[in-house]
Amino acid sequence: MAEGGPKPSSSVKLVLLGEAAVGKSSLVLRFVNDDFQENREPTIGAAFLTQKCNLPSRTIKFEIWDTAGQERFASLAPMYYRNAQSALVVYDLTKASSLAKAKHWVAELQRQASPGIVIALVGNKLDLTSQSTGLENSMGGLSLSAAAGDGDEEEEEEGDARQITTAEAKSYADEEGLLFFETSAKTGHNVQEVFTAIANAIPESTLKTRGGPGSNRAGNGTGGDTFGSGGVNLSAVGETNKDGCAC
Amino acid sequence: MLSLSSLISKASSLIDPNILPPSLLNQVNGSTNDGQTPAVLFRSNFRLPDSESPLAVIPCELSLPTGEHYFGRLHLSESFLCFSSSAPSSVSGASSSSSSTAGPPSCGFTLPLVAIRRVERLHSRSYLFALAVTTWHNDQKLTLQFNSLRSTCEKFCEALKKNLRSQMSEMKNLRMLVGSCYSEWLVTGGKSKDGAKEEPDAGLGMVWKYPGDAKKLRDRSKMRLWAEYLRENGRNITLIRQPTFHKLIRVGLPNRLRGEVWELTSGSLYGRLFNPTLYTDTLTEFSGRHSLSIDEIEKDLNRSLPEYPGFQSEEGIGRLRRVLSAYSWKNPDVGYCQAMNIVVAALLIYMSETQAFFLLSTLCDRLVPGYYSQTMYGTLLDQRVFESLVEKTMPILWEHLVKSDVQLSVVSLPWFLSLFINSMPLVFAFRVLDVFFLEGPKVLFQVGLAILRINGEELLDVTDDGAFISCLKNYFLRLDESAHPRSDNEKLRAVTRFQELMVVAFREFSGITEQTITDQRTRHKDSVLSSIESFAKRTTLRNLGPESKRLATNDLGYIYDRFYKVLYERQERLAAIELEKERLNEKKVMSSARSISEKSINEKGRIGLGPSSQLMDYDYFREFLAGVAKWAIADSPSQLFSPGLGGSLDPQWGSNGRKKSINLSPWGDNAEPADHEFMQRLFRRWDTDYRSGLSLQDVVAGLAGIKGKKDIMESISYFFELYDDDGDGRVDREGILRISEALLFITRRGWETPPNIGDQNRNSEGKGGTDPFLGSVSGFIRRCFEYADPDQQGKQEEVSTGVEGMDELVDLLDLASDDEDGDSVKSPVKEKELKGKDKEKDEESGEKTSLDIDANTRPSAMSANIALDPANPLHITLPTFRMIVLADEVLEYFFETGFADSIVLSTDGSKTPSGRNVSAGASAFGNLGGGGIAGAKGLRGVLDNIVNDGMRVAQEVRRRMDEAQKEMERNAVPGKYKEDEEEEGDAKSIMEGDRELLKGAEASVVDEAAKLAIKTGIPDDDGASGTLLGSPTSSLATTHVGEELRTPTTPMPTRVEFEMDK
Ligand SMILES: Nc1nc2c(ncn2[C@@H]2O[C@H](COP(=O)(O)OP(=O)(O)OP(=O)(O)O)[C@@H](O)[C@H]2O)c(=O)[nH]1
Ligand SMILES: [Mg+2]
Repeated sequence: MAEGGPKPSSSVKLVLLGEAAVGKSSLVLRFVNDDFQENREPTIGAAFLTQKCNLPSRTIKFEIWDTAGQERFASLAPMYYRNAQSALVVYDLTKASSLAKAKHWVAELQRQASPGIVIALVGNKLDLTSQSTGLENSMGGLSLSAAAGDGDEEEEEEGDARQITTAEAKSYADEEGLLFFETSAKTGHNVQEVFTAIANAIPESTLKTRGGPGSNRAGNGTGGDTFGSGGVNLSAVGETNKDGCAC
Repeated sequence: MLSLSSLISKASSLIDPNILPPSLLNQVNGSTNDGQTPAVLFRSNFRLPDSESPLAVIPCELSLPTGEHYFGRLHLSESFLCFSSSAPSSVSGASSSSSSTAGPPSCGFTLPLVAIRRVERLHSRSYLFALAVTTWHNDQKLTLQFNSLRSTCEKFCEALKKNLRSQMSEMKNLRMLVGSCYSEWLVTGGKSKDGAKEEPDAGLGMVWKYPGDAKKLRDRSKMRLWAEYLRENGRNITLIRQPTFHKLIRVGLPNRLRGEVWELTSGSLYGRLFNPTLYTDTLTEFSGRHSLSIDEIEKDLNRSLPEYPGFQSEEGIGRLRRVLSAYSWKNPDVGYCQAMNIVVAALLIYMSETQAFFLLSTLCDRLVPGYYSQTMYGTLLDQRVFESLVEKTMPILWEHLVKSDVQLSVVSLPWFLSLFINSMPLVFAFRVLDVFFLEGPKVLFQVGLAILRINGEELLDVTDDGAFISCLKNYFLRLDESAHPRSDNEKLRAVTRFQELMVVAFREFSGITEQTITDQRTRHKDSVLSSIESFAKRTTLRNLGPESKRLATNDLGYIYDRFYKVLYERQERLAAIELEKERLNEKKVMSSARSISEKSINEKGRIGLGPSSQLMDYDYFREFLAGVAKWAIADSPSQLFSPGLGGSLDPQWGSNGRKKSINLSPWGDNAEPADHEFMQRLFRRWDTDYRSGLSLQDVVAGLAGIKGKKDIMESISYFFELYDDDGDGRVDREGILRISEALLFITRRGWETPPNIGDQNRNSEGKGGTDPFLGSVSGFIRRCFEYADPDQQGKQEEVSTGVEGMDELVDLLDLASDDEDGDSVKSPVKEKELKGKDKEKDEESGEKTSLDIDANTRPSAMSANIALDPANPLHITLPTFRMIVLADEVLEYFFETGFADSIVLSTDGSKTPSGRNVSAGASAFGNLGGGGIAGAKGLRGVLDNIVNDGMRVAQEVRRRMDEAQKEMERNAVPGKYKEDEEEEGDAKSIMEGDRELLKGAEASVVDEAAKLAIKTGIPDDDGASGTLLGSPTSSLATTHVGEELRTPTTPMPTRVEFEMDK
């Protein structure tokens, strides 16, 4: 266990939003269990998982709400983003419509969620684009301040499943003041980085140490689906605890 | 905003204290059933299709071949004979067993009449009336001894006889169904002549194994018990439910019978009985078609119980795809909702595709209504109900949850939505389903409450959502462990946690009945729907697209409300009318297939329930407009025939306009909307996707196009484009007249003119504020013709050669109609759209030409009137139109603000369309009071008359303005006049003359003028729009050059004077 000594520890509520099948649950599974499953059941309502993230100065315990993506579940979302301090709005790099949906969620969060919520825009399934090898410009370092210039080169690339250029999403993210990443839940590329960036971006002042620093459920990171029905939600086992972020 | 808990606490103050303690519940349930009609209750008690209704009921005693006797009631519906016993001990139970919602009756049956082979009257004891019923499965004979007045008994028998006869035709269906039932195979061993020759499909489990360890589940013992029960009590269609039946289900169904018993207890079997081919027919009908639902289904096919080997195979995936797709086609209102894939996948392990299809229908329609709908209101509603039940039954836990800000529904919602399939290990989830199909949705609540009760201690230590969820997760994973592992009692140690759960659910929470759930749903429905609706509104308004930014937020909100109000009110109204019609026709033969997607009428009318249609057709649009613009209200209510449309009426609109012959007004209490050509144009303009329907987004964009204009130029262009049918930047003669009509139409009830304009206008003395507009419009027409550009000769030739090879008459007609159309260059997109209209126009104009040209008219007169001669095509361009509008300050003002202001959105009292205090309009409107068209006075009144009568307004303007010109005018009349009818016979010769005219000198002058006009650069877009942007004087000057050039041939103002002098 990456026990950070007497570092202050606090919980952060994080909600994942985005169109169906963009890979929200897969991102969480990668982050929490460092695992990937090809066929994940769609999330029904929402799934809840936790994972710690060790920063140099403190430990953040993410309480992750992974929501269902289908349009008609949208009216349930307020139930889940209520009191959230951070949000991952996910789209699928290979599906143009998913960015539009992501923008709707950003707008919704900006208007309806807690003020000061930290939002990260995440383009997932990078492995399906020709860029996934990371040869020319690894997205690894792409975070808040990454250059937006990549777009021009990408547009020239054909035979690529990518439908949303980095430049397009990046400029939108900048406009709205969002963190921005391109990830692959499948390869794990950039996944830890997203959560670390969020952890870093949460203002110290909004951190509350509910019920004592992780006292009542310390180290009980839950996640993963193990039994036959593969239930995404309440059925998941909590024994696959893994160390905090590799940061 | 969806703070369930806060709403719950509010709502709970209203909760009937009677619902608790549980012991009281059964008493209450017997007497109240608000929100459910007897017919609904009857159907749900006996799991009957929606087409059934209770026709007769009689107290009676049932004697079974096995020797048991039950008192109860016998019910007759169109195609069923049903029995439910009252409490077994109660001898006089007949009177008190009106409703059996308090739980399954100890004995009962739902017997399709077609499954009855024989009914005999027994004469054992003369004063008793008794029947012996032989069912399809010969081995059974039921005795029914009636307990009522003889006349009642006889009446019942009569009705039974009649219905038995009418059901004979279903025999084929019965055979098919019985043959597909596993029970038939089980009992007859495949040797019955009706049973299948091979083992019937009992789901994917037959190939890929059923979940769980069959031995541990004691599947064989269960099967033997069932075989015995079925032999004694009938099977599938003839099964009689005795207390053992319920017990057999409670201990868990055997794998191969599970699917069939689910069908039977849920009642979906009867849907399948009467619609044996519905499933396959649906698949065939929609094969290869695409929809959003199909895409969504495809996305989830690999994500449905992926751990079950059957769903890693093409066969399993294929079945799942077909069932989900068929249902999405059958019930497009629901379509596909995530979670359905998991539920259906689970069903398919135990039943065939067809069985799963019907069971899914029953689920969506009756068992968990609204769970999977577009808004998922049923899911949210049941969460609210569940929360309130928790509060009532476990107040301490509830208080703790509220205090720790734990939201119960985040945990419980998936339980309900996936019927526990996704929450518990499958073997246990199926056990819950066994009882759920037998006893109804209350089971979900009972199990949910029991879960919380059992884990109550631990949950009281939990202080946040996360810990709450973990606690229950762990519980579900250990359901197969002993509930009392440390007990000394061996029997107690053997009790699993799941068994404990079932016992707690059905014993401790036995007070939760179907009635409780119904009552609670009724209680919370409104607030749940409201919160969904306010969420939907908020989201929708935010996503209306860039156009919406041009409108104020409160205007958008107003449009939203109005849009859905019209949509739903009208839907409701039409449904009511439809129902009324059906009642009148006494159409009682309703296919039970209808029940698949039928919603009861009062289920409509709210956004929260999920819209059945999001598009407004033209009639809805009219109703919508009538609410925001007073010009869109009809002058004379209930015109049976929509006038004013003449030849321009598309066949499509025509049929809509004539839908009114029903005694109920399709407009309800609202003012009947007008039906004017202008409104049709607006509709088509707004219908950007050519769907013949407007979405909210279309309406918002459309209104933004009118009310959100930046300046007068945009507003003028907008109007012009409405009439530029083919998008070539020109509006022809017909269009000019129609524009004038529209201007008068919009302002006929007055509009807000600036105070100073009326004084200055020359025509307006004493006529009130609107009359200046009349003058302006007639001036407008005059100027339009004055400044219009003739069409080019070249085009005409092109077309006349285009009709080569046809006989002369046709040739002539076509030539004439070509004139009418103005030109032959058309944008392909719009042409398609307008084809129907053009065709009609063609015919009309052909006829017109033959009528309009007076044989006696001298060539010179013709030439003098050439601007009005339909044989001489002309057009105005946008720049000309602008110039003409801007030349008249009234028109200018109209386009500046009047047009936009004529549509009133947010509720500003003084401006609402119903408010009649619009300054300038008051007098004109007053004239129309009481719909008294004939009583209207003055020129304005005449015009209103004309609008109402469907005459060509512009035409009349000219006629009234200049009586002396009448004869000449007639030449240009595009409409039909009585006086002209007798001249029809001359059509051919006239037209030949007409044609010669076109070749003559006068015509060539026109052509020359046209050519010159082109050279001087007047017509069409570039140059002219440039001049408008530049100095106004220069633009006028340019036009005057053109005008002068044409003076010899089209001196319209001069001509008027000339004619008047004469
Ligand atoms: N190639 C690739 N596939 C991915 C990636 N992430 C997810 N997927 C696949 O995309 C599908 C959907 O993934 P989920 O994680 O279930 O998507 P979701 O957003 O949670 O979907 P909902 O719960 O329905 O809203 C699965 O089949 C995943 O295997 C990725 O990074 N690369
Ligand atoms: Mg998911």
